[in-house]
Amino acid sequence: MTISPPAQPPTPPTSAPTIADAELALVPGAEPVARSNWQLFRRRFLRHKLAVVAILILLVLIVACFGAGWLAPYPKNQTNLLITPGGPSAKHWFGTNPLGQDMLTQVMYGGQISLKIGLAVAFISTMVGVFVGALAGYYGGWIDQGLSRFTDLFLIVPELAILGVAIQRLGRTDNAFIIVLAGLGWMYIARVVRGQVLSVKEKEFIEAARAAGASSRRIIVRHILPNCIGPIMVNATLAIAAAVIAESTLTYLGLGLQPPDTSWGILLNQAESAVTSTSTFYLVLFPGLMLILTVLAVNFLGDGLRDAFDPRSEH
Amino acid sequence: MDEATPLLSVRGLTVDFPTDDGVVHAVDDLSFDVFPNETLGVVGESGSGKSVTSLAILGLLPKSARVSGEIRFRGESILGAKESELRALRGDRIAMIFQDALAALNPVLKVGDQVAEAIKVHHDLSKPQLEDRVVELFDLVGISQPRQRVKQYPHEFSGGMRQRAMIAMSIANEPDVLIADEPTTALDVTIQAQVLEVLERIQDRTRSAIMLITHDLGVVAGVADRIIVMYAGRRAEIGTVDEIFYESKHPYTKGLLASLPRVDRRVVNERLHRIEGQPPSLIFVPPGCPFHPRCPYAELNGRCDSERPPTITVGPGHFSVCHFAETLDERPTHQ
Repeated sequence: MTISPPAQPPTPPTSAPTIADAELALVPGAEPVARSNWQLFRRRFLRHKLAVVAILILLVLIVACFGAGWLAPYPKNQTNLLITPGGPSAKHWFGTNPLGQDMLTQVMYGGQISLKIGLAVAFISTMVGVFVGALAGYYGGWIDQGLSRFTDLFLIVPELAILGVAIQRLGRTDNAFIIVLAGLGWMYIARVVRGQVLSVKEKEFIEAARAAGASSRRIIVRHILPNCIGPIMVNATLAIAAAVIAESTLTYLGLGLQPPDTSWGILLNQAESAVTSTSTFYLVLFPGLMLILTVLAVNFLGDGLRDAFDPRSEH
Repeated sequence: MDEATPLLSVRGLTVDFPTDDGVVHAVDDLSFDVFPNETLGVVGESGSGKSVTSLAILGLLPKSARVSGEIRFRGESILGAKESELRALRGDRIAMIFQDALAALNPVLKVGDQVAEAIKVHHDLSKPQLEDRVVELFDLVGISQPRQRVKQYPHEFSGGMRQRAMIAMSIANEPDVLIADEPTTALDVTIQAQVLEVLERIQDRTRSAIMLITHDLGVVAGVADRIIVMYAGRRAEIGTVDEIFYESKHPYTKGLLASLPRVDRRVVNERLHRIEGQPPSLIFVPPGCPFHPRCPYAELNGRCDSERPPTITVGPGHFSVCHFAETLDERPTHQ
């Protein structure tokens, strides 16, 4: 590096106060306050009340489900044929099913698989989608053509049919679900990211970064993607919701997971009797409620994160 | 380096953009030199090819542009050089200051980090070294409380401060050539003066050559050593500031100067002088001299509308691209 100390210091800023200094002095509280990134992020996020409620709900759900081994009132899948199946009571908060299993316990264990599938699918499909979308949007030309047609191809396949067939082939396990759902879910994020990259890459600061000698890789990672974080977050959270619902749908239709595995979808599937009898409605109510809570919370969380990631939303 | 050897030398630069409406001749046969430690003012109205020229120097023109001619930096040809070679030059040896600092700074990155990045892509410095250097740069461009300011985002800066940060970024590696594309256009006059003062101070320290692109004659009059006047993608006149302002030998330059408001002269009818007509379309550039339809000195049905004017040397280092450069002052006008 060829930076040498100045032989003669140029006019030191202290000797001649500039107008900007005077300006600052006139405005009370104009002294710049430096806050850490995390503090700013937290402050912007906390302003979003619904998102705060959402994250609390999600935390409770995650702790309850993944801590089921310690927290659940009864062992997993324990049947008790001596009790009469019935609605919520002091001993069985969520009631019991016709097999005499405690529904609270089943919902907690079921959530493990449902949430795991949701989170893993969202993570993988976001990674793949961002990668494909960023390359297509940034490089354009035949790379964009190729990747976009590839994306379109995945978008037009009949999702439910492919899912059903693939799950039968790969085995009815949660990992098979994750792979197949991620494989069928990345295109939405890829499209959104491509569009965002197309608009961000035309911004002047990208040209400025290029004029400063930054490489394409650095421009994508440091300058373009951080400017797309809002839409990416929102779509990632939507992907969680979509995956949780897809698993439940398939399982409910009998194409997905099977007991002794348990998931919210399986619980719904087992609650078929509720369709004909109003007295067992609670068998649908609790797993369904958990699904709805998860999906709603995740959506509000997405909104909150989008705002929190944007430093401009401070004003 | 010898002050008489050009740092940057542009010869016959021609940039065309094919569009649906026809070929846009953005820059046409442009030649000039930039010498060490000088400030070259590049003056011209919108669409005269100033910005395209600077992008061509940095190799940042869009792929659709058709470029020919020669650009040499320290004797090495850089037009059409490999991307990796250009990247090593950009921001390190040749840097650029953009007009709109708010648009040219990434809104989601801290200003200090962006300046640090400009250094990081060219030099391997440790984190504390980088931080110190950025604070030093902020101090140099006159940003008060640099330690706190580096941690702020562009939207927390005022317009003038942002332009200073932009300058800090462009001088971070002490480039040999600093291309300032309308650095003060978006600023009010007070801040404009401060920013120009910062540029001069930087130049005293780094001995960079500055290419100051502007449409504001007042700005170049104050800071430039030499001026190149551009019209329709071509050069009209090159000379020192005094030659351009007091001994101009080109009708376009004369027209520009006459249209400046002057405090020492009462304006007849309270109206400023104007150059008749519109700047030409860059798709259909008038034949001969591109300025002839608007030129009060033009010889109708003569050389002006048929022959491209040659570059006439009217003094040492003073060139005018006009058929009548030498006899302009005696020529009758038809206005």
